[in-house]
Amino acid sequence: MAQTVLVVDDEPSIVRALTYLLSRASLDVQIAKDGDEALAAIEAHRPSLVLLDVMLPKRDGFEVCEMIRANPDWRDIRIIMLTARGRDADREKGLALGADAYLTKPFSTREVLAKVQKILAADVQSAS
Amino acid sequence: MPFVKSLRARVAGSFALIGLAVPAVLGGGLWLAAERLGDGSVPALVLFGGGAGFALLFLVAWSWQNFDTRFVAPLRTLRRDLETIIHANPDHELSEHAGGYVPELVDAARETTHALRSARGEVTSAIDSATRMADEQKGRLATILRDLHEGVIVCNLDHQILLYNKRALEILHVSGELGLGRSLLKFLNRDPILHALERLTARMAAQPGEAGPEDPEEGWSTLLVCSTSDGRYTVAGRLSLLTDAGEETANGYVVTIDDVTQELAVLGRRDRLLRESVDGIRDPLASIRAAIETLSDNPELEGETRAALEGVVRNGCETLSHHLDRMSGEYREIITGHWPMSDVFSDNLLDCVVRRMTEEHGIECVLEGGPAWLHCDSFSVVELLDHLIRRVHEHGGAERFELEAQVWDRGIYIDVSWQGAPVPVSLLDTWLGEQLRESLGGLTGRDILEHHKAEAWCDAARPGVARLRLPLPPPVEDHWFDPGASSALPSRPEFYDFDLLKRMTSGTLEARPLRELMYVVFDTETTGLEPSKGDEMISIAGVRIVNGRVLSGETFDELIHPGREIPPDSIRFHGITDDMVRGKPPAADVLARFHAFVGDAVLVAHNAAFDMKFLELKESETGLRFENAVLDTVLLSAFVHDHSGEHTLDSVAERFGIEIQGRHTALGDSMVTAHVFVRMLDLLQARQIETLGEALEVSRQIVEIRRRQAKY
Repeated sequence: MAQTVLVVDDEPSIVRALTYLLSRASLDVQIAKDGDEALAAIEAHRPSLVLLDVMLPKRDGFEVCEMIRANPDWRDIRIIMLTARGRDADREKGLALGADAYLTKPFSTREVLAKVQKILAADVQSAS
Repeated sequence: MPFVKSLRARVAGSFALIGLAVPAVLGGGLWLAAERLGDGSVPALVLFGGGAGFALLFLVAWSWQNFDTRFVAPLRTLRRDLETIIHANPDHELSEHAGGYVPELVDAARETTHALRSARGEVTSAIDSATRMADEQKGRLATILRDLHEGVIVCNLDHQILLYNKRALEILHVSGELGLGRSLLKFLNRDPILHALERLTARMAAQPGEAGPEDPEEGWSTLLVCSTSDGRYTVAGRLSLLTDAGEETANGYVVTIDDVTQELAVLGRRDRLLRESVDGIRDPLASIRAAIETLSDNPELEGETRAALEGVVRNGCETLSHHLDRMSGEYREIITGHWPMSDVFSDNLLDCVVRRMTEEHGIECVLEGGPAWLHCDSFSVVELLDHLIRRVHEHGGAERFELEAQVWDRGIYIDVSWQGAPVPVSLLDTWLGEQLRESLGGLTGRDILEHHKAEAWCDAARPGVARLRLPLPPPVEDHWFDPGASSALPSRPEFYDFDLLKRMTSGTLEARPLRELMYVVFDTETTGLEPSKGDEMISIAGVRIVNGRVLSGETFDELIHPGREIPPDSIRFHGITDDMVRGKPPAADVLARFHAFVGDAVLVAHNAAFDMKFLELKESETGLRFENAVLDTVLLSAFVHDHSGEHTLDSVAERFGIEIQGRHTALGDSMVTAHVFVRMLDLLQARQIETLGEALEVSRQIVEIRRRQAKY
């Protein structure tokens, strides 16, 4: 069964590009436009990985990340944070709150795909 | 030497007259007798008369000699002793043999000096208590100045420095000292200062007789921006006139300065960054736009052309991404805005928090771990930590907090940890959105984080222990490896001398009063006594005298590598061994610094010729000439204490009642010599030697007398 990736971003063009890219890599893609939708989607689809934008309406990405990590059932969900804020302090904060990787916009779509595949492959390996 | 002429010469003259008169009168008497007695008596008269004449001459000579040693010489000694008591050392005792034939005179003098001593004692104690008070106030002023964040320099209208604080040294990047009495224009670019002074004095002259300036906000003061004289640093601050009590004329000025080199550099970098950002976007954007427009206008394009255009778009995007990365990286390095930030020692910062939490809010806080330097506005960071700790305390009931500074690769973490659960991001965000104290002008915690380009979050340090983290910027300067000029300074330096205000520059150096001059009293230690036979300096020290005060805070003291072995015989004198000079700089380096320390001061040394010889022999090597006027305390001692033949530093110091410490070190001997010299200035003045020219002239006379004595 294909692994599920949840893309959380309020910018439609990025969402579209990522969806296309990830689908072509035979991944199941779900979409959420804000923090609340993201939590609902995680509840419903239990993705293996979340691509999480920081600047979101309602709940920001840091908070969503923290809530994912706070739930014992979701502990092994992988999180890649995407942000337009490139400060070192933000990266540190994201990693401290439980993100597995932190990418700064503008990023190359290939870079995102490579990172996603690497993290998922590591999981599969450690699971088997 | 007027005394010699007036008494000794006069007495000798009188006896010489008697000596001449005796043979004349005797000869006259004998001639008259020969007239009366006839020629036959001549041989007898010549025989007896001659005998009587020689006897009388001998008696005259004997009485003169007796008179000179028992009367004239003791009187001279008495007079010198009295001069010493009056002008230099009140505790000096009258010599036992003074008095000679007139012991009553000595007794009377002794009584008088005792009376003088007790009267002076009363005056001195009154002066002492007044001085102590003045010193206390000066000390307080010095402390305030020392702790000021701004550099302060006070000058008279000749730009001579009367006062400065430690911060001024740091801002001007001067290691060691500025030197009281030296010109400020040596350190700062002269034109802006002269211009500011000119404007202020003109403004003052335009409002004669008014009690104060038109605009009390401005005062007699103006903004000053100028560079250091080497052009490496830019300072900004104010220049204010010092006025006399009536505020009618200026007698000096105060410069308060701050180093703005960095701020200016930041502004410059920001400008450049902005320019480069704009320029760097234009080209790739133009290519992308052209390619995209071509592609969308010509959907039929296929093959190589299409691939080439897509390549242009891809490359353009990559270039833009790299450009943005580089720009944002550089931007982050620049400290933006006018938020006052400085390098802060974490212990000082966290101590503030600990004290405030414990004393004001009764919340226990303790410091953990080692200290670190960071760059922040400590006031607002303390407010922020105070706010957050109180919120955590109210929210989760934690009673005890541990504060710690930790270094990470991009800066410093300030960690606050406590027993309990981490604070959720949303709650922390709420707290950060709250306004802090009124004193911060309604700033929120988020604002303070933004100023520091920081974030805050909370996680679990270990199970059961929550940790609030604040990553703050690293220090701007490297504090661990730069001990800084300030730490090398003595704790209570004599950095001030307001008496210089009264000083006027007058004519040529030689015509200037001795009291007005600046001196550097110095001494060297050497491997031996013969510089011409390869002996070398191993240590040189000096101390500055300004306005008759020995400035123990302004000293020079360095060891020199002599480039040869130090003979064991000489080590007995100076105690400096080969080990101690290992790795020390050679004479040329040290003398260059000493030359700068001396400036245009008058050089003073005990047996100056010896020390000067060593300096002169190095001239060809260093290219530095010490062309300063030189005074020798040996020669001056021989002048003011001409009754004594003892002019070693020990005996001179003893005569002046100067306690000797650190003798036979270059600095110790310099200090003793300096104090001797200051006392001598009084004695010289008492003997009408007022100017440098006159002091040099009597020194030359002494040299001449000694040379003649050496011949016999």
